[in-house]
Amino acid sequence: MRMVRIFAACVLCLILRSNLNATMIVPISVEELTRRASDVVEATVLNSWSAWNPQHTLIYTYTQMQVIQSLKGTSQSITVKQIGGKVGNVTQKVAGVRQFQIGEQAMLFLRPSQAGDGTHVIVGLMQGNFRIARSTTGEMIASNGVSGVHSLQQGKVEHYAGASMRLADLESVVRGALTQ
Amino acid sequence: MKVTMRLALNCTLAVLLLFPTMSSFAAQPSLTCPGNGSCASPQPDQWPTNSVNWNLNPDSSKGNIANGLNFRAVLTSAFATWSSAPNVAIQFTQGADCSTCSETNNPQNLNFICFACADAQDFTRDSETLGVTISTSQPGAGSFAQITNAFILFNPADCFTDINGGSCPNGASGNNQIPLQVVATHEIGHLLGLDHTAVVRSVMFVSASDITTLSYDDVAGASFLYPKSTPDVPTSSISGTVRLNGNAVFGAHVFADSTTASQPFSNFSSIRKTPIGAYTIPGGTYTIRGLPADSYTVTAEPVDLPVQDSDLGLHDAYGQAVQTNFTTRWH
Repeated sequence: MRMVRIFAACVLCLILRSNLNATMIVPISVEELTRRASDVVEATVLNSWSAWNPQHTLIYTYTQMQVIQSLKGTSQSITVKQIGGKVGNVTQKVAGVRQFQIGEQAMLFLRPSQAGDGTHVIVGLMQGNFRIARSTTGEMIASNGVSGVHSLQQGKVEHYAGASMRLADLESVVRGALTQ
Repeated sequence: MKVTMRLALNCTLAVLLLFPTMSSFAAQPSLTCPGNGSCASPQPDQWPTNSVNWNLNPDSSKGNIANGLNFRAVLTSAFATWSSAPNVAIQFTQGADCSTCSETNNPQNLNFICFACADAQDFTRDSETLGVTISTSQPGAGSFAQITNAFILFNPADCFTDINGGSCPNGASGNNQIPLQVVATHEIGHLLGLDHTAVVRSVMFVSASDITTLSYDDVAGASFLYPKSTPDVPTSSISGTVRLNGNAVFGAHVFADSTTASQPFSNFSSIRKTPIGAYTIPGGTYTIRGLPADSYTVTAEPVDLPVQDSDLGLHDAYGQAVQTNFTTRWH
């Protein structure tokens, strides 16, 4: 049991590396994420940049993704927009949003931004962002481990460790949801 | 089974001594680096003055406030939780309501709270995101970065209630109801410049549960950023270095836990006794500040659940992952 916990902790620590402030969420199932998303893709981060919105009130970070595999939708190259980032000396931090690192891989549940600017946003703010990493045993693990957020389940606020599973299992759940 | 991970580093300090200040942080504040990327010496985020104005967008037309809930009073109470804390010199002033303030319309750079704002990162399209806090900071000339603006958005798709629950006007039920004071107290901690703590049962713990009162660790964090010139309760600090096989450990959570029944903040009835923690910086050093006179056991533990690297700003600020490969023990 102890070794299982050590393994789980190591895997999570490999996967989860970002600056999370608290926000509060209700967990969304993978099936529901799939239903809400226009695109479900496995993608690699190519580059990112940050910029103010036209009103100069919000900093957005734009991340260009190369699609490795598309489970839903037809996009081959996607730009993901997230709130928060740094422009010049100004840093904007946003509760619950983790920024991408160049080179990392993720399975993303996306839909077009309401801004109509050609970008995509992550379904559920951060819940539709499953980072992909190789475990110490060589398995590919995917997790949206948003452990910095709270979950509200049946009226009670609790710690939310996020969903962590083998990438193959996640793909299987998505494909199953698409057939429903 | 309760899971606690501890490094085999335990020592008892009978009497506190005043150690020289070191560049590490107690009760982790949010951190800002000058320029792009990470840096060797990030600055803790702090408001430039001890008086912070906040404004309310009073629009409740989206129906996300429980029937009869005086949300203005709840927010005022949540702010007062922090401003009335011992040793903490921060005051909040509620300015005039701003019915047009939103994340895209804030020409006066107000620190507003909004229940009807619609669309930061499209987040309101999913009712599962209950609220977000957005803060802006810049590097400062001294030891601290300056927070220049912050605002809190509550999702209009959800329903915020009294601490005991309530009736929601749009029929929101079950998962979509949340006591406003629980969310607000925690988010105001972020607005102050506090990051997450690894001390369980603190307001700033990553899962605050139903907590609305501050812990010793919360007080230590807030008083580090906003210290009273004459503290209500004198405190001191414990400093040291965490090493593993002779090598410095970055990102260890080190906490001081009282070994006595002493209640040094007993004049402040709502303050709950908890350990007080800090994190090691590169080089392995730590300073636990805000400790009232007492006897303590000091323990170092890896940040590898329930609090993780991802919960903290250490990685982004210093540009390296926290180290978690040291001895753990469950009990």
